[in-house]
Amino acid sequence: MASNKKYWKSVEELKDSSIVETLSKNEFVEEIPTDQFLGDKETLENSSTSRRDFLKYVGFTTAAASLAACEGPVRKSIPYVVKPNDVIPGVADWYATSMADGYDFANVLVKTREGRPIQIMPNKEANGTTSARVQAAVLSLYDEKLRLKNPTKAGAEISWADADKEIGVKLNELKEANKVVVLLTGTMASPSTDKIVEEFIAANPNVKHVIYDAVSESGAADAFKAMYGKRALPNYHLDKAKTIVSFGADFLGDFHGGFEKSYINGRKPETGSMSYHVQFESNMSLTGANADKRVVVKPSDQVFALLNLYNAITGSAVASKSTPVDADVKKMATELKKSGSKGVVLTGLNDKNAQLVALAINKALNSEIIDTVNTLNIRQGNDAEVAQFVSDMKAGKIAGLISYNVDPVYSLSNASDFSDGLKKLELSVALSTENNATVNASNFALPTPHFLESWGDTQFDEVTYGLMQPTIQPLFNTRQVQDTLLKWSGNATKYYDYLKSFASANVLNGSSWNTALHNGFFTKEVVENTDFVFDTLEVISDVAAKLSSSANKASGFELNLYTKTGLGDGKQANNPWLQEFPDPITRASWDNYLTMSMADARELGFANPVKDNGAIDGDYAKVTVNGVSVTVPVMIQPGQAKGSVGLALGFGKTFGLKEEMQVGVNAYPLYKGGNNIQYGVTIEKVSGTHQFACTQVQKTIAGRHDILKVASLKEYKTVDPKDHKNGWNKPAYVSYDHNEVEANTIDLWDEHNREVGHHFNLSIDLTSCTGCGACVVACHAENNVPVVGKKEVRVGRDMHWLRIDRYYSSEVETREEAKELGLSRGKMYEALETEAENPEVTFQPMMCQHCNHAPCETVCPVAATSHGRQGQNQMAYNRCVGTRYCANNCPYRVRRFNWFNYANNNEFDFNMNNEYGKMVLNPDVVVRSRGVMEKCSMCIQMTQATILKAKKEGRAVNTDEFETACSSACTTGAMVFGDINNEKDQVASLVEDKRAYGVLDYLQTKPNVIYQVKVKNTNEA
Amino acid sequence: MSHYEAPIREPLVLGDKSYHDITEDIAKPIEGKANKNWYMAFYISLAAMLWGFGCIFYTVGTGIGVWGLSKNIGWAWDITNFVWWVGIGHAGTLISAVLLLFRQKWRMAINRSAEAMTIFAVFQAGLFPIIHMGRPWNGYWVLPIPNQFGSLWVNFNSPLLWDVFAISTYLSVSLVFWWTGLLPDFAMIRDRAVKPFQKKIYALLSFGWSGRAKDWQRFEEVSLVLAGLATPLVLSVHTIVSMDFATSINPGWHSTIFPPYFVAGAIFSGFAMVQTLLGIMRKVTNMEEYITRLHVEYMNIVIILTGGIVAVAYATEFFIAWYTGSPYENYTYLSVGAATGPYAWAFYSLLFFNILTPQLLWFKKIRRSFIWSFIISIFINIGMWFERFDIIAIVLSKGHLPSTWWRFEPTFVDVGIFIGTIGFFFVLFLLYARTFPVIAQAEVKTILKSSGEFYKKRREQGIPTKPAIKVAKKEGKSDKKDKE
Repeated sequence: MASNKKYWKSVEELKDSSIVETLSKNEFVEEIPTDQFLGDKETLENSSTSRRDFLKYVGFTTAAASLAACEGPVRKSIPYVVKPNDVIPGVADWYATSMADGYDFANVLVKTREGRPIQIMPNKEANGTTSARVQAAVLSLYDEKLRLKNPTKAGAEISWADADKEIGVKLNELKEANKVVVLLTGTMASPSTDKIVEEFIAANPNVKHVIYDAVSESGAADAFKAMYGKRALPNYHLDKAKTIVSFGADFLGDFHGGFEKSYINGRKPETGSMSYHVQFESNMSLTGANADKRVVVKPSDQVFALLNLYNAITGSAVASKSTPVDADVKKMATELKKSGSKGVVLTGLNDKNAQLVALAINKALNSEIIDTVNTLNIRQGNDAEVAQFVSDMKAGKIAGLISYNVDPVYSLSNASDFSDGLKKLELSVALSTENNATVNASNFALPTPHFLESWGDTQFDEVTYGLMQPTIQPLFNTRQVQDTLLKWSGNATKYYDYLKSFASANVLNGSSWNTALHNGFFTKEVVENTDFVFDTLEVISDVAAKLSSSANKASGFELNLYTKTGLGDGKQANNPWLQEFPDPITRASWDNYLTMSMADARELGFANPVKDNGAIDGDYAKVTVNGVSVTVPVMIQPGQAKGSVGLALGFGKTFGLKEEMQVGVNAYPLYKGGNNIQYGVTIEKVSGTHQFACTQVQKTIAGRHDILKVASLKEYKTVDPKDHKNGWNKPAYVSYDHNEVEANTIDLWDEHNREVGHHFNLSIDLTSCTGCGACVVACHAENNVPVVGKKEVRVGRDMHWLRIDRYYSSEVETREEAKELGLSRGKMYEALETEAENPEVTFQPMMCQHCNHAPCETVCPVAATSHGRQGQNQMAYNRCVGTRYCANNCPYRVRRFNWFNYANNNEFDFNMNNEYGKMVLNPDVVVRSRGVMEKCSMCIQMTQATILKAKKEGRAVNTDEFETACSSACTTGAMVFGDINNEKDQVASLVEDKRAYGVLDYLQTKPNVIYQVKVKNTNEA
Repeated sequence: MSHYEAPIREPLVLGDKSYHDITEDIAKPIEGKANKNWYMAFYISLAAMLWGFGCIFYTVGTGIGVWGLSKNIGWAWDITNFVWWVGIGHAGTLISAVLLLFRQKWRMAINRSAEAMTIFAVFQAGLFPIIHMGRPWNGYWVLPIPNQFGSLWVNFNSPLLWDVFAISTYLSVSLVFWWTGLLPDFAMIRDRAVKPFQKKIYALLSFGWSGRAKDWQRFEEVSLVLAGLATPLVLSVHTIVSMDFATSINPGWHSTIFPPYFVAGAIFSGFAMVQTLLGIMRKVTNMEEYITRLHVEYMNIVIILTGGIVAVAYATEFFIAWYTGSPYENYTYLSVGAATGPYAWAFYSLLFFNILTPQLLWFKKIRRSFIWSFIISIFINIGMWFERFDIIAIVLSKGHLPSTWWRFEPTFVDVGIFIGTIGFFFVLFLLYARTFPVIAQAEVKTILKSSGEFYKKRREQGIPTKPAIKVAKKEGKSDKKDKE
């Protein structure tokens, strides 16, 4: 076809310059004779290709094309054109920052690689701790499904400028009309933000700030205010405590943010004394599981027990009632009195009056454990204000709502009132990091960055001023809430500058901003607050009367709502790591359920049968509270108080979540008035079978006590651990030449030579391990452990390299006991296998034991798993053919097989199946393909990096410099990793400790993971 | 050629057979057309095989996750089937090699098919170690071949590697032994074949057997040498398979009794499978006169002996589990724990099928009954499958740490692959029955005069042992061959 387009190569040519013409003419000295060939028809016809030739060409081209197609797909990466100074490819950068998402607050260190945050660790200098949720928060950053990406108005995208303009106009209108606008936020615990809010309110006097915590501790804050004149939570220094009495306060869980570190610091058997901890509770909580003594008592009786304790300690006689546990209460009163100021009483009842009684007891004890000066700011929510706001909104008294990172549509018990009210508003703006039902119902949705992309400051307690700094460029078109509020107040300052000047002016006291930012925190001095408004003796009877009148109304079942270690208040419900994280107590993942006592389950006909595929099923119960019903599966919980049931909040979120994550039942509708105890609950069995996904089915140790050794403090102090009869850390004995000899005196194999270099050991102190599971998630993040989903976890295919086994005690603990009871063999096994109604609980972290004589190593036909020179049992994924013999021969069953491809597989649509989620992968650790075995590597990538760093710096590796992900995530110091060839390393002395033992030492696998016998303070106070 | 045999011994070949009759009988299934029953059996087997292959492709294409395994139970039906098939493969070599050395003439009627069964069973067995791998395409890494992966070598400590050697040696020796025996019979078919293509094929298969005296001499020598070579293999293969378990540290697997116990169990199951197959074959291919009650009885005697050994081994295992006093031995596959646990049904199935059922064979009537033997043999096959399932699944379901106790439930793929191997086995066996001489006719002919019913009767009656009538009838046609 003819074309009159003109093609040109340069401007000169276009302008018809003669030079170009001449040059172009001379480009080919001889013209290529295409015309000669193509134009001459005859030649063309003569040059016919024979059939043979044609087939040859076709054959060749096909072969060439298919060969070329054999090449793997090329993934292009773009190198830095100008390399940022502080980014060295392959070297991690650590930033100190803070997490504050409204429920979880922590001073943390963030590991970034090539500009991507990939892991969160506690900032130990700032006394920071991380829970499983804090560890997992890094994945929520990359949640491309749920995060808001652009500002929208009524669902349509809008620019920031337009949004500001429209909202600004509307805000002005409302201001002029003096209509109420509510700023609804969660607890931010940020002094600069508080100031910005103040300024915003100053600029817009019609704005009211309401703080709403989905899971409320309003009662404690109100009580504290009534007593000490300041709305905050008291701090507890449990490390100094001699006696701890807790009435349902899950202080190793989410009570006041958790106190596991100070609790465990007070429980070091080698110091000779441990705190004596008694837990009165209805649900089996993590705290109760760790208590020296756990007294099962239903919530209404907890109230009376608390009052009885008050009476016993103060000698007064406020109105109360006798409870089944009065004997224990009396005993504890004596203990507390004996401990005096070293005793403390806590209660988890979210009730101002109950909290007041506890405060009064502590006051009466003159307790030093409770700290009323360096208070906590992490739960500022005010139930009364929230309730008022919702009813005002429903009544149409409110014209505008600016919400920030809250989801009342999901988490309010009267969510429908809120939704109705929302529709009446003239202006509704949701500032949020993630999409949720409230954002969806609001008119404007303005994305805010994740805390890992944000500037900010924090003030969790009075002493520690924390700073938050971005660790990555914002992934989406987001703007911080502070910038937004500044803008709407008419302040043109950037929040970063504002923060810097705020900190310099108010906090830093002349010291360097850069240093504070580098450290992530700054320690302030607290001025003692001596305000004391509450007169214990006068009003306590009044308080007690109110308290017992509410408890007296108790009828039917009593529901104790709680938060799970994994999901908390449900903010991170779309986080696959947390969904797959097994609950420390029930070891169920991907679910919440109604926990019920064995006695009640028997009466009502509930059961948890184990199916043939190893998984557990459950029946459904219809739970009705105050006319609101939900249908939940029932999990029978040993240690649950009869007449009480438990249900976890934070589940059942559906809006915007991936289908796989829409698990569990939303318990918030039952959470009336933010009260974690609900009376008058009816339970009805309904049809249907629920499929649970538990990672552990057998609940007891089945008489195998050399796996898990427990001693009492008294035994620890007085009995020789190796004593043949009564020893609490007896070595294993085996028969050799018909003599009983210590197992470690005979050996089939030669010792590995460990004279040269490092030899790594990991010590796990069962006394210090609370079972919190931060290590499980840390391991997940560090080692790119895949998430497999509920269906696969159910059939026993979770991929966790590190798991925490939980064992309940049984009524009959040993074979000897069973024999004394005259049980037949079958009955003996049954007795050993069945958990007690109120069992003692022990946690045992379990990962590859890195046996020096590893059973897995001898059986691999291709030598894919072999022993490293530094003590590790190493796994060469490339070499593995996947016979699974190693897993079968591993007595600890810690090897995990890739049953499927877990990355880039739509069947497993979790973080390894999308481009954002993959950004969290640790580039130092390979993503395993299907068909290969994997397991704990003792974080060899971390130890090697440490060695290389020392080498580069021309020095020996420092004492205690080696770390693994689990050991650095461990809040309580239960896990200690190090080099036993360096005798100064802490672990070197730990492996020699009299508490040290190897699991299954009768097998003589000689593990490099050493456990320390659990010591409980059971027989003395 | 024939040896002396006491007249009170029962004949091994029934009927008025001449040498030529034997030839005719054996060649008939090959030369004739297949009947409806054969086709029906073949298509059912083929369908099962294709279904199994489909399941295998699905497994290889998707991942081992399509099976019912879990983090705590890494093997179940795969290795159960593997050991089961290897065990079945045991009888062939025992019959052909050990019985040859012991000059048991009754083996001649059954050794061909028993060996065929061995080889086909080993094929099935060999499938499982390959497909049970997570990455079967790298399966050749278990072979100690020079490679370019650096200096990577196999791990000679691993029992799985010993398996590779044991099974491949067993397969190759069995195959050679089988084929050697087949040479004169293939030659016979070749000589009778009328279609040129068929003739060519059988000429190739018979390796140019000419029937000269030298051929026969070498044949005898090679048979003896191979029998000597194969005899230790009877013991070694299952010894090594048992070491997959015995050298591990799982309570219930870690047991020094395993090698002899597994060998006995393998012979037990192998003979049971021979009973099953021959029970069908003697009917289908009209070999009733060659595979007699006496053969069945002899095999039953072996079954009851090996079954007895197995029963004693079970009792020992049960006793030791109790006697150790170790809580780790509470739940081995033969223990009170297993008898009261979730796998009690498998435990009692094992006892019923493997210990109780064979006891019926103490009764001569049952021992000599075709139908009873057939039923009992099937029961034993099932029982021996349960034995391996129990050993693997029950032991793995109750590991050292109670937190890892789990259960196994097969998926349709597990079942499909097992059924597929049964189909594959029968496809091979049915094809074999139509193309191979199913009885070692050359060998049977050597005992015709000493153990044939016809000749025995004649001898008793003092009549010269020449089958006058029948030979006269067909004399002209194949006189030469029948005279050896």
